[in-house]
Amino acid sequence: MEQLQQMARELLERQQVQVIIGYEAGSEANRRRAVFVRRAEDVSRLIFDDACRQNLATYLLKPEVLVLGKIGMVVRRNTLRSLMQYAVENQLADERVIAIGIGEEGGPRLLPNFAAVEEYLAQLPRGPSAAEKAELKKMEQLVMEQRWAFWREEFDRCIKCYACRAACPLCYCNRCITEVNQPQWIPVASDALGNLEWNVIRAMHLAGRCIGCGSCADACPQGIRIDLLNGLLAREAQQQFAAEPGYGQRKDYALAVFKPDDKEEFIR
Amino acid sequence: MARIGVFICHCGENIGSTVDCAAVAKAAGELPGVVHSVDYKYMCSDPGQSMIKDAIRTQKLTGVVVGACSPRMHEPTFRRACNEAGLNPFLCEMANLREHCSWVHEKLPDTTAKAIDLVRILVEKVKRNKPLSSIKVPVTKRALVLGGGIAGIQAALDIAGAGHEVVLVERSPSIGGHMAQLSETFPTLDCSQCILTPRMVEVAQHPNITLYTYSELESLEGFIGNFKATIRKRARGVDEKLCTGCGVCTQKCPNKKIPSEFNEHLGTRPAIYVPFPQAVPNKPVIDRDRCTYYSKGKCQVCAKMCPTKAIRYDQEDELITIDIGAVVAATGFTIKGTDFFPEYGYGQYPNVITGLQFERLASASGPTLGVIRRPSDNEIPENVVFIACAGSRDSAKRLSYCSKICCMYTAKHAMLYKHKVHEGRAHVFYMDIRAGGKMYDEFVRRAIEEDQVNYIRGRVSRVFERNGKMIVKGVDTLLNGQSIEIEADLVVLATAMTAQPDAEATAQRMKISYDADHFLSEAHPKLRPVEMNTAGIFVAGACQAPKDIPETVAQASAAASKVVGLFSRSELAREPVVATVNRTAPPLFSTCVGCFLCETACPYQAIERDDIRGRDGQLIRQVAKVNQGVCQGCGTCVALCRSKAIDLQGFTNEQVFAELLAV
Repeated sequence: MEQLQQMARELLERQQVQVIIGYEAGSEANRRRAVFVRRAEDVSRLIFDDACRQNLATYLLKPEVLVLGKIGMVVRRNTLRSLMQYAVENQLADERVIAIGIGEEGGPRLLPNFAAVEEYLAQLPRGPSAAEKAELKKMEQLVMEQRWAFWREEFDRCIKCYACRAACPLCYCNRCITEVNQPQWIPVASDALGNLEWNVIRAMHLAGRCIGCGSCADACPQGIRIDLLNGLLAREAQQQFAAEPGYGQRKDYALAVFKPDDKEEFIR
Repeated sequence: MARIGVFICHCGENIGSTVDCAAVAKAAGELPGVVHSVDYKYMCSDPGQSMIKDAIRTQKLTGVVVGACSPRMHEPTFRRACNEAGLNPFLCEMANLREHCSWVHEKLPDTTAKAIDLVRILVEKVKRNKPLSSIKVPVTKRALVLGGGIAGIQAALDIAGAGHEVVLVERSPSIGGHMAQLSETFPTLDCSQCILTPRMVEVAQHPNITLYTYSELESLEGFIGNFKATIRKRARGVDEKLCTGCGVCTQKCPNKKIPSEFNEHLGTRPAIYVPFPQAVPNKPVIDRDRCTYYSKGKCQVCAKMCPTKAIRYDQEDELITIDIGAVVAATGFTIKGTDFFPEYGYGQYPNVITGLQFERLASASGPTLGVIRRPSDNEIPENVVFIACAGSRDSAKRLSYCSKICCMYTAKHAMLYKHKVHEGRAHVFYMDIRAGGKMYDEFVRRAIEEDQVNYIRGRVSRVFERNGKMIVKGVDTLLNGQSIEIEADLVVLATAMTAQPDAEATAQRMKISYDADHFLSEAHPKLRPVEMNTAGIFVAGACQAPKDIPETVAQASAAASKVVGLFSRSELAREPVVATVNRTAPPLFSTCVGCFLCETACPYQAIERDDIRGRDGQLIRQVAKVNQGVCQGCGTCVALCRSKAIDLQGFTNEQVFAELLAV
């Protein structure tokens, strides 16, 4: 932690960045919240531990954050993957952010550009954790009817507060499809159909893009397992199309890229 | 308020016998917004079109729905009629009551109900149609002809003769194709080379034709009038400008034992070779896989002997990119080899040959100088058995089609053999004799009656060896299915004509459709036989289906006339069915977030990046923009766009949604 604060102080003092976005203690003992540190004397507010789960990348595309200048950001593995995905999706200029990589892999270390992030990510372990894998496996073992019943129950609780969308680093559209009303693809009401369409369409929009940070589920006040839904789709995209979003700068979105040599013989 | 007119066509009996058209028109008349609804026997006829035009004028229609056949068939007809009556053509839609309804269902009340549904869907759509205007695109008046067989040669000469530039690409070292291999041609028995080679020379000398042999199409991008073709000119190993075609290199090459492709492996050629003496261009190529210099690093005899020092061992493939307005695919065919037939010895018997090999034996320029000699010992065969339909019309061999030319060339082969070996006996096993065509049946009768070829109606079950003799075991179905055995010195299989082994890849490279047998699919089997579904690409010859020389030449000229027709205009009007990215007021400027994932999804590279700048020139945002000249309106980007910032003109989200809700 001291190392982290020292690094942040140096970045601010040397004016390499104008603001450091990191974590500070929250309102309760086990809660953390985002903090924007703009003065070197405030770096002591920065902390880092396992409770720092929020994906801070979400702030990077906000116009009010972009005007602050160059940004330093305390990032975990998943946040780094968000940065890479922003690079792929043309949302963030290179060297706009100096990432301070930290987490169970060690750190802190300075990652000044996309190339450095990519190189660092290449050394880290990939794929879901053992606990996540076990959960995915459990879902896959359910028969179709059971799975359908499970998700119907989950989506029944949705109140369409869109906290998932606000927390998600990849839900950055100016105009979300749920607000498109000519035509109204997603019914406005928070009823069975409206909830189903919202959650399914959001999951489809994240298939092949989701980097699995789980911020959506953390943000959901109803405890809906959105992370599980996205995890299942990510696994599908990985198995069917070898999609591993957030590890490189290449544009190979599974839903968009067509390879002539990748023949689906079964549809002939 | 919408004022929609609905016009239900009976299409003669096609729709009328299954769907109650009057009931459809009546139900449509009650839909909100519909002010006029009628049915008529033939809506596409002149009186039918007049009904539409009159209704537009008198009823002041704001949209038209024609319930008739497929829009592929008559949408242009009805849109033109609307235009003539002063209604924007894109305010006219078709409900497909034929292919989507009457042709696929029984005559039942439900069928009529479905027809009403289809009309209601289109009424809801047309209410949301907006007037559109065609997009004008320029035409590059240069044609690419792929394949230098008789089809490609004919198409190239016709287009060039009309005054347009032609780029002719042939992948083998010489043009000429299969026709150059043939001996005599049915039904007149005129010499194939004698009629073909003057055409080949004409191609080489024509000022409007650029010939690339030993070359292949690497890629084809763009659209009608505006293609960009990349051609890979493979390294010949010979400087074509210096080479005079004297032939010293081919005579001196020490490596002469390579089976000749031109002679169907019945003769040999050197490693540096011209496929045949009349080749165009008469410039040799080095077969790098077989040349001693490339494998061992030594030899260079050809380079030493060449009087003009034209040999270039280090020559590399060249990529040439050319702007093209239209393409004629004339990529030809191949045939099944004898190894395809386990029942006829799997290609193990040297004296079981294909029809094309027999052509080489019968040809004056062939390995035997036109004397029929069997491959095993060069003896003149006394008993020759010809087996028609070898592979063709055999669904067990996955070749259910008729190869069309075998009946004729088998009769010709038998005849040629009898003319050359007077005492010999020729037997033909056949399933049916298909000799439709001018002077064709007469030709077959001549073989049977004048030249006494023994025609046996029946199939051959096996060809095998017994005591050093080849036995053809078959059945004569006209003799009560009696089994017969014939001792043969030579067996000629009329093997099936098939698509080129890489036909599928070639078609995919050009983005044109092909059928299950990998023959190219024309746009309409009757009315658009030389056009492909991809606009600006035409087809000629046996790459589309098995066909003989007269048919091939006719189709090539037809394709050429289509190309010339296209080139008669300097501008083309394209349907405005293209994608557009929305623009909104500042500070957003567009709901596009600029993720450019659509860029990778677009199969036509039509998505561009548009910089939105402030008055000070500062970049505010980068959003997607569609190049309307390149966009083909496939809608892939529309489906992919998460925020629905892209829409397809003529098929907007709003229209499609209304259609869905109307079901």
